Amino acid sequence: MSAPAAKAVAHAWVALKAEDPEAASAGAVARANLAAAKGLRSLRRYRVFELRGALPDPAEIEDLLHRSTRFYNPSKETCRVRLDDAAPSPVGPGEAVALVVERGGDRRPAAERWWRHEAGGRIEVREGTAWVMGFEPGADAGALAAELATARDRAHGLFCNPHAQEVDVVTGPPPLDHWPGARRKRAPGRRAS
Amino acid sequence: MSAARVAVVQFPGVNCEAESVRALERAGLAAEVFRWTRPARELEAFDAYVLPGGFSYQDRVRAGVLAAKDPLVEVLAARAAAGRPVLGICNGAQVLVEAGLVPGGGEVRLALARNRMPARDGYYTRWVTCRVERSPCAFTRHLEPGALLPMPVAHGEGRFVSGRRGAMAKLAAAGQVPLRYARPDGDPAESFPDNPNGAEEAAAGVCDARGTVLALMPHPERVLDLGAIARTTGGEWGRRQREALARGDATALADAPGVGLFAGLAAHLEDA
Repeated sequence: MSAPAAKAVAHAWVALKAEDPEAASAGAVARANLAAAKGLRSLRRYRVFELRGALPDPAEIEDLLHRSTRFYNPSKETCRVRLDDAAPSPVGPGEAVALVVERGGDRRPAAERWWRHEAGGRIEVREGTAWVMGFEPGADAGALAAELATARDRAHGLFCNPHAQEVDVVTGPPPLDHWPGARRKRAPGRRAS
Repeated sequence: MSAARVAVVQFPGVNCEAESVRALERAGLAAEVFRWTRPARELEAFDAYVLPGGFSYQDRVRAGVLAAKDPLVEVLAARAAAGRPVLGICNGAQVLVEAGLVPGGGEVRLALARNRMPARDGYYTRWVTCRVERSPCAFTRHLEPGALLPMPVAHGEGRFVSGRRGAMAKLAAAGQVPLRYARPDGDPAESFPDNPNGAEEAAAGVCDARGTVLALMPHPERVLDLGAIARTTGGEWGRRQREALARGDATALADAPGVGLFAGLAAHLEDA
């Protein structure tokens, strides 16, 4: 095992290998009933883990995530780890992301215990859901995604109930130092709403 | 005079429609399952509505939210605005909250958030005690304030919470929390497991200001007979059950606390 690095952050993006029924339902309901979704061309859902602490090298992070049952199931899901903002991302050009977390409920203590047992280091693990939205060409993806993100009434918003959840909407992948509800320094210039 | 008609609205994934129909019939109402495939306008022929428990749309995105966007709910909202009673049980409660029908006004003002339980997570099922509070709620107002009702809960997302500080307390003060989780001694249950999900104000149910739309997390339709109550239940209902069993009434089919809420609906419809 390599020596743990200095404090670092990684995002692990987990997606189903098969078509995601949750995204299919959400997209169909949104297109049928929400005005902001009329131009919604694509909708994908990812479970996103934030790993924060003394992290080993990328290959070892990927190996640890693959071995554990606390993060994803390699038989039916894929996982992509990002350790810097320039790393390849599952978010395509022009797509917007609504990253949703449970307020006060996004930590994953069981995953943290597993990590400490297997890797020997203490890290913080958080989990959220990323809804990746692609719109018709020329649409203001950030504004439309923001409109769809927060549930306000029956006709507006879907992915986040603001009374129990936090959401951040960005165009492109969320910067690594970017987690809804976290009082941390934000990466400049990426936030759409 | 013919019995009032109640639609038990079934979205895909709802699985408590049959016992909800039975509960309404037990209260003398004419109930039928109204599936999501029927034209929404046909809902207008009914006098009241029940959204039963289950997992509408498999709880995708968030429990209740996809059903809350359904055109059927627009009709329900219009009927509710006209004073027609609507009861949402468990998943039905989640639909009403996500649809802005509870606590009312059309705006999403609350969440039924993931349970918050010490050292555990996810779906949780347990018998709880609910205390009747003073309220204009059509479903409970004929019940004695302070009465204790044993009922089961079974949910993963049942924590009434508002993002606005003090909002739940204001609802409670206004009588819009007609049922609260209670300890066996009757005091509000602030902690697990008597409060099974961490709900603010120990709220088991929240209604609109008029009291005709109720979002209720426990399952009254599962407590129609004394024999259905958990054998460990104390208090008045436990005593009644033990007496029935001691008489050799093994099935104990006498009315149990869940009937009271549906009887309240029947009384309200008769008065209206």
